[in-house]
Amino acid sequence: MDCKEVDSVLFLFFDGEMDDETLTPFKDHVGRCGNCAKQVDYTRKLLLIVRERTIRCTAPDSLRHRILTHLPHRRSSAPGPH
Amino acid sequence: MPFVDALYNTAYRMTRNAEDAEDLVQETYLKAYRYYDKFEEGTNFKAWLFKIMKNTFINNYRKKQQAPTLSDFAEIEESFETQVSEDASKPGLKNPEEELLENVLDEDVQRALDKLPPDYRMVVLLADLEGFSYKEIAEILDVPVGTVMSRLYRGRRLLEAAMLDFAREHGYLREGEPVKMRSRNSTAK
Repeated sequence: MDCKEVDSVLFLFFDGEMDDETLTPFKDHVGRCGNCAKQVDYTRKLLLIVRERTIRCTAPDSLRHRILTHLPHRRSSAPGPH
Repeated sequence: MPFVDALYNTAYRMTRNAEDAEDLVQETYLKAYRYYDKFEEGTNFKAWLFKIMKNTFINNYRKKQQAPTLSDFAEIEESFETQVSEDASKPGLKNPEEELLENVLDEDVQRALDKLPPDYRMVVLLADLEGFSYKEIAEILDVPVGTVMSRLYRGRRLLEAAMLDFAREHGYLREGEPVKMRSRNSTAK
């Protein structure tokens, strides 16, 4: 695996989507390539920012109320969203 | 009411409007209730709800003709593909970016997300905020897993570029100012 290939599969590593066949050459390369090791570290920080610092909006109570009042009551035994 | 916050958050990020987001989530729940018989037990209920919301979002867009058409998205995708691949081919650019990354503000992340073309924004939201797997995202969006991967790659790179631009605008990195950890001579192997 070379630097370009590492870049192309980097996100798979952090998304937990990398298969074992790719994981070994990926780790081998990153272990001996300073630039790719830095890139891995940088990507970890980048994804942490996106995942943890994006403000998550909460559904307003008025919306919950609206949904509940509009849901039909014809299937009281249905295990649908409550 | 399962996943209402997750649905609302994604709806708000996609419509960028509280009223539209509320309508979208309400419609999603009503459809989920109406078509609950079609839900396959044992499959991911959250992904099923998101798929309903995605379809509703696209249908509403088509009705209102507010959004770029799919062909427009494809053109945007193509132009960004060129941009991203050009950026990725430049070696040794990451060190000043690492410095900048530390100065990204929370509001920069929101603005950068809002700036992403819808197709890219959606995959980033589904992967990074909702934690769906590539396979689940592919099912929600009705696209191949390979498309999810390429959109996620480009979407995150665009997001990164936009966040760094905003951080740069704050003036944290001024021209001529020495930068820690910068290594101008580093090149990719």
